[in-house]
Amino acid sequence: MTMSKIEKALNKARGMGSLRVVSPQPTRAMEQHSDNQIGTNGVTALIEQRASSSEAIARMQEKTRLSKGMLAQNRIIYPEMDENATVRAFREIRTKIIQKSLGQNCMIMVTSVTGGGGSSFVTLNLGMAFAFDAGKTALLLDCNFRNPSLHRLFGAGTFHGLTDYLENPEMDIGEIIHQVGIERLRIIPSGGRREIPAEYFTSNKMKQLLDSIKQRYRERYIILDAPPMTESADTRILAELCDYVVLVVPYGRVTDSQVDISAKAIGEKKLLGIVFNNEPMPPVFKWRSILNPFAALWHKLFS
Amino acid sequence: MNLLHPEQLFKALLSEAFYHRKAIVAVFVAVNLVMLSLGLLWPQAFSASTSILLEDKRVIQPLMQGAAVATDVADRGRLAREVIFGREIMNQILEYAGWMKNNPSPAEQEKIIEKLIKQTSIRNIGRDIIVIEYKDSDPERTFKTAQKYAELFISVSLGAKAAESQAAFDFIDKQTEEYHNKLIKAEDQLKEFRSANLDARPGSDIDISTRLNLLQTRIEQATQDLKEAEVKKISLEKQLSGEAEVASTLSREGQFRSRIAELQSRLETLRLSYHDTYPDITQIKHQIEDLNQAIAEDQQQRAAAKASGRVVLNEGIINNPLYQQLKHELSQTQTNIEMLNARITEAKRELGHELERGRRVHGGEATLAELTRDYQVNRDIYQDLLKRRENARVSMNLDKEKQGLTIKIQEPAVLPRRPSGLRFFHFVVSGLMLGIALPLGLLYAKLRLDPRIRMEAVITDKRKLPLLAVVPHLWSPAETQAVRREVEWLSLAVSGTFLVVVLTTVLRVTKVI
Repeated sequence: MTMSKIEKALNKARGMGSLRVVSPQPTRAMEQHSDNQIGTNGVTALIEQRASSSEAIARMQEKTRLSKGMLAQNRIIYPEMDENATVRAFREIRTKIIQKSLGQNCMIMVTSVTGGGGSSFVTLNLGMAFAFDAGKTALLLDCNFRNPSLHRLFGAGTFHGLTDYLENPEMDIGEIIHQVGIERLRIIPSGGRREIPAEYFTSNKMKQLLDSIKQRYRERYIILDAPPMTESADTRILAELCDYVVLVVPYGRVTDSQVDISAKAIGEKKLLGIVFNNEPMPPVFKWRSILNPFAALWHKLFS
Repeated sequence: MNLLHPEQLFKALLSEAFYHRKAIVAVFVAVNLVMLSLGLLWPQAFSASTSILLEDKRVIQPLMQGAAVATDVADRGRLAREVIFGREIMNQILEYAGWMKNNPSPAEQEKIIEKLIKQTSIRNIGRDIIVIEYKDSDPERTFKTAQKYAELFISVSLGAKAAESQAAFDFIDKQTEEYHNKLIKAEDQLKEFRSANLDARPGSDIDISTRLNLLQTRIEQATQDLKEAEVKKISLEKQLSGEAEVASTLSREGQFRSRIAELQSRLETLRLSYHDTYPDITQIKHQIEDLNQAIAEDQQQRAAAKASGRVVLNEGIINNPLYQQLKHELSQTQTNIEMLNARITEAKRELGHELERGRRVHGGEATLAELTRDYQVNRDIYQDLLKRRENARVSMNLDKEKQGLTIKIQEPAVLPRRPSGLRFFHFVVSGLMLGIALPLGLLYAKLRLDPRIRMEAVITDKRKLPLLAVVPHLWSPAETQAVRREVEWLSLAVSGTFLVVVLTTVLRVTKVI
């Protein structure tokens, strides 16, 4: 899948070391500020902000950027992995979503057919794929309360998350949107509480939250990491709130009838498509040297 | 799981193979090592075979053609098996092939023989060729055993054949002897009977019946004659009684008397009509008295003459010729009757004799026929047997001198150079092939049987759901490292297995092991 022109240009500039994305310092304050504005000033203010959002993205200041090594360690794609089939796959998914949403930002729920199906992996890397494009941002919501995983990127420490926000009327949206050291990618973790009733998803506050974060930036794609279809009834409620659903089918773990049931539960309208995840493919390395017994022996003995 | 296209199947197989790489390599190594050890431990089997030509010319059959029916032996292979697996040959094989070197106990010998029987296969090709095949781990012993089998089989068979022709000869000889005795006995009986019944000859009954007829006729004839003679006799006697012995011409006295009678009769007649005083009557009376007077005078004269002893010729007496003739005939007839009686008696006696003889001859003839038949039958069989005995003698001599050789080795056993059956090479090759095919087969079976999705085509084609993308596993550097190490190890394991296989094969070929 071809990268967008902007993305290519950015990558090139980054590679040459000529580009520094400089953003005004208080990014967080800015986010808070803008979110408050949505709540208070109404539509007019929103439109104005949207007009200036491109600059705002450029101004977004990141905290210490995650190194490629760290990204690779966490199985997160990055633009330099050009030849990687996984990167290609996510770019393809991204392109299809953009095509489907006609260039508008949208809210996508990612759910797996079964637990451990890799919905968090897909969520994160789909977000990354959006973030590749300098003109787009991605906001990831970890709605998988029972088995959250996105917070791992933050390292140690406690962060406010979705449950905290829903429970605490005082809390501001800005408090739960976190940077992870990846450009144009924000994450709302699941929060401190593991158990929240399904009613929270149907609550007005949740709807409001989703609306506000969707409308906050026009180029922001919101991706929800939802619990597996077969394990939680909440997922269907969440699906109602979202524009599209991406169903993750893990390789060799579910039957086609299970997939069918899940797809039917989502409904044809919402189901954007299926991601067949985690196909076993050998890593890219120099097979010749590995399979050469003498080289291997040499390596074993003297490395 | 529907497998739609070969390339999809191939891709899925490849993915699965990578996923189960450890198991696959483990199976490969295990299969190869197992097959290698099997190949090493598998007893090398050498086989030597020899074929024997058998011609179906049994001795007793042509000899006894028509006289006796020999049983046909259809399954020659079975016959040969019976002969070869018999104790006689097996013991010799034990000796010859060197099984007896360690002085095995009878029970052990039994076991060895059982083993030998298991390693020997005997079958017939067509009708006349028997193939004996022997398998063993030692080529030399294999060859020797197969060769010996054929030799012993032929010698035993030939011996059996000679014995058979000898037995056939003996049998026929015995039969001949028996029939000879029977024949002699029949001859004796016949002779004895003949001497006892001399008249018991063929045709004597006709003779007897002719004779009987003749006698019968004769008796009838004589009886007839007798009756005639008797009638004649009676007739003659009657005639004789009528005739006087002498014919007398009327004498005086006679004349007187006849005159008197005449007168008397006249008197009688007259008295009927007249009284005595009738002149005629008185006259007649006087005449009669006169005549009586005359008679009395005559008688007196005769008596006087008689008393004086003088022959008084009676002029009136003469011999009656008729009487004489009748008398003569009567006498003749009498004689004739007697003669006829005697003849009849004789003829009857002869008849009785002849009848008795006839009876005797009939009984004797039945016995004779029986004896003759016995004799003829015995003689025929005896002559036939004599011929056969000569044939048997020739056959026996042929067999004794092995001239009528009908068993020979068609193709002799050769020393086997290469082991037959499963060889080490087979195990190595099949180990390599099985080592690859078995895991792949298992993977294929897994793909076939496991309903879980392993191909995106199932989603798109079967369930008609939109597919966004297929995301391959994203390897983290640590994982990549781990996989790299693992693959290196696995590669080493596979290479090591190859090395072991090749080395073992080389050692095997160079006969080090």
